[in-house]
Formats: sequence, structure tokens, C-alpha cells
Amino acid sequence: MTLNQVPDHVPPEMVGDFSLFTSPGMLPTPDGDPQAATACVHAGPPIFYSPFNTRDGRGTWVITRATDQRRVLQDADTFSSHRSIFASALGENWPMIPLELDPPAHGVFRSLLNPLLSPKRVMALEPAVRERAIALIDSIAASGTSCDVMKDFAFPFAVSIFLRLLGLPDHRLHTFVGWAKDLLHGDDVKRPAAARTILAFIDELAAMRREEPVDDFMTFIVQAQVEGRRLTDEEVRGIGVLVFVAGLDTVAAAIGFDLAFLARHPEEQELLRSEPNRIVLAAEELLRAYPTVQIIRVARKDIDFEGAPIRKGDYVSCATMIANRDPTEFECPDTIDLMREDNRHAAFGYGPHRCLGSHLARRDIVIGLEEWLARLPAFRIKEGTAPITCGGHVFGIENLIVDWS
Amino acid sequence: MHIVVHKAKCQGHARCWAQAPDIFKLDDEGYILPGDIQVEEGEQLPASQGARSCPERALEVDSTSAARFEPADTQPRAGEA
Repeated sequence: MTLNQVPDHVPPEMVGDFSLFTSPGMLPTPDGDPQAATACVHAGPPIFYSPFNTRDGRGTWVITRATDQRRVLQDADTFSSHRSIFASALGENWPMIPLELDPPAHGVFRSLLNPLLSPKRVMALEPAVRERAIALIDSIAASGTSCDVMKDFAFPFAVSIFLRLLGLPDHRLHTFVGWAKDLLHGDDVKRPAAARTILAFIDELAAMRREEPVDDFMTFIVQAQVEGRRLTDEEVRGIGVLVFVAGLDTVAAAIGFDLAFLARHPEEQELLRSEPNRIVLAAEELLRAYPTVQIIRVARKDIDFEGAPIRKGDYVSCATMIANRDPTEFECPDTIDLMREDNRHAAFGYGPHRCLGSHLARRDIVIGLEEWLARLPAFRIKEGTAPITCGGHVFGIENLIVDWS
Repeated sequence: MHIVVHKAKCQGHARCWAQAPDIFKLDDEGYILPGDIQVEEGEQLPASQGARSCPERALEVDSTSAARFEPADTQPRAGEA
């Protein structure tokens, strides 16, 4: 492909033919298993160059070993996360906060936001999360013996927790699901349109909370101070957009992949149903097996990394699903063992940008699985249907029709 | 036995806390409190499980003092940050 020429400094023998966007199993695939499809890279070198490995067709270095990903992600001085992913869809350049800030500015905002999503704060949010899960699942149980997990449970659940966090009523739920879908999986027309809509919404919400403060996330943000000053409009926007983008699709996809696994593995499903105290540990293994995010960094200077000549400006990909299948990190990485101990998986990344919402996401997943298994009988993939999965920047599962008749 | 806490490496995953909240204490942001942790007799299993759960490798089990009866540890330690 002439569009994706390999830069001159990349030795030809370091170019690999694997891509999280174009390799087998990465395009929308019925009954696919895109995370497992990434494991093939472990037969190759610890680092290689993939000429087409972003949505817009850029090349990236690919780091395959968990220990090397840790090194890259822990070293924010060398590997920057400022890519303006969201803003660039609009032809603009401002960071999502704190993700796309580098130290030391990153630490200032991270410290501001950490307490809002700390493990202890999440414990206080749990009753509302559980109530939401129960309401959705009870309504599914009452309406028949089949449903689309993604449409009827995973997305509404994730979005409604997000709305609750922002202090918004549930009646806007479907609007939000639509925005999130267009933004993350839409085409070149839908994506920027959704991005603009979301921005306008966040600006409007911030203005409302400035005028009339309530006890919610956005009020906290607009009243907060960093380094003795209020946040700028751009900073408020950067935070709001990140919470929106990071919190919706990822949790929904995780729940979808997890329930798809359980639908296909009746024995494991029954084990967790009859011994629900195993779900916390099992959820960690499912996070290892089905993480959804490819983390990309930009080299801030030239560095030789495990023999690879990374040059300033090069993209470096640390795909969580690749680290999680690293045989030097996990025993039998391709076996999904719901009783696996010592599971130091990379689903939430490593380093200072460790997923800010990880504690909430973990509890969402565990509570979602607990209530699903407690309230519905043995379920399987509905005959004649096939979940469609895809790779990319954020791995996804489009549909999951299950049946318990 | 004690746990060497490399505070600068802690990124708030809180996996240690999930394993043993009484041994691994967190600050309001959800990051581990500074200072090494002396592990009581009988808490060694959850303590080492907690230390092993750290995705950043910020916790190091130092069992050199386990064989000694003296609680004071005057040995220099490797790997202190």
C-alpha cells in the first residue's frame, strides 16, 4: 500500500504483517475471537513495526511482551500520550484530561480526579449500580426467553451508570447510546458529527452546573481548583469528553465478551451461578482474556528499544490483549481458567495513566455478572445467530443474542 | 518478613488492597501509603499474595528477616528507590 510507507529508519526485517485493524479476525467477524487472534504475535519478536495500525492508517511499533509494555507505559517522559484523539476528529488540538496530558501537568489533574473514582468511593456507588443491573435484568426476564445482551443490557447498564455519575436522569439513555456508538464505531461522517454533539452537550452541562450547582461530577469539575485557579473551559471539556469516551463502550464490551464466553461454556457458567463468590476472581481472568483497549504512545525522543530504532514522533502500540497473552507473563495464556490466581493482567494498562475508572469498571463487571447469573437460568447463544466481534482501537462485540428457553 | 514499598511505582491499581485491606492501606486517592510494611506472624500468606498482585511490581517481598527471631532488621536492602 503506497499510503502506508514504512519510514526509512525502520529496518525492513523489523516490519511485521500483523495489524489490530486489518489482520484476520480484526474486521467485523461472526463468532470471532479477536483477542485470541492477537496471540499469534508471540511467535515473533518482542517488537516489530506494523505499517497500518491506527484507524487513520498510520504505522506503529508493536510491543508484544508484558514486561516491555510496562517499561514503555511507566516511562511517560519518553513515551507521551498526547495525541488529541478526540479533538483531531474535529480538526482541533486539545487534550482529553488526564489521559492526554504528560507529567507534571498530568499529576495535578490526576490527583484532582482520583478521589472521585477511588476504591472507597466506588464502594459507595455500588448500591445504585446494583439497583440498575437488577432493574434491567428483571425487565429482560419478564419479557421473554431471549434478548440481545448488548442492546438490552450491556450498553444501557454502562450508559446509565455514567449518567448517574454525571447526575443526569435515565430518560436520555438511548440518545447517549446512539452518540457513543456513532463516535466509536461510526464512519467518517458520523464520527465527527457525534463528537460535535457530545462536545456541545458537555459545554451545556458545564454551563448549567456553573449556574446551579448540584452534588455531582460536573459540578465538582466546574468548581474545582488546580494550582490556585479554576479550570479553563477547555480543561472542563477535556475531562468531560474523556469520562464519556472511556466509560461507555469499554464496560459494555467487557460485559458482552464475558457473557459470550459464559454462553459458550455452560459448565463455567453453572459453576459461577452456583458459587457466586467465585465471580470476583473469574472477572479478573475475563479481564485478562478479553481486554478491549490498544494503548498508543508517541516517542518524545529517539530511543533504541530492544534493538528497534524508535525515532521521535513514532507511534508505539501497547495492546492490552497482546500483553495478556504473553507466555512469559502468564502460564498457558491461551487457556481461560476462571480460577487463575496471581493474575497481574494489563487490562487497565500500566504506569501513571492506569485507567482512572478501573475500580468502577471492575465493580460494574462483577455486579453485572452476579445479577445476570442470579436472575436468569442457563443461557446459550441463540441458534441461528452469531455475535459479531471486531478489533481496532477499542475491541467490540456488536450483538449477543442469547436464549434461555 | 516485610514488604518493600516502592511508592513511586504505585499507580493505584489497588490490587494489594483488594487482597488484604488491613495490610495494604491506601490514601484518599487510592494509592498505597508510603513506608515499608512489617508483616505480622500469621499474615504472611495474604501479605505475599497482595505483594504478588501488583501489576506495576511496586511491592517486593523481603523474607530475609523471616528466619530471624530479632524483629529489628539492620541488613541493607537491595532495590530501594
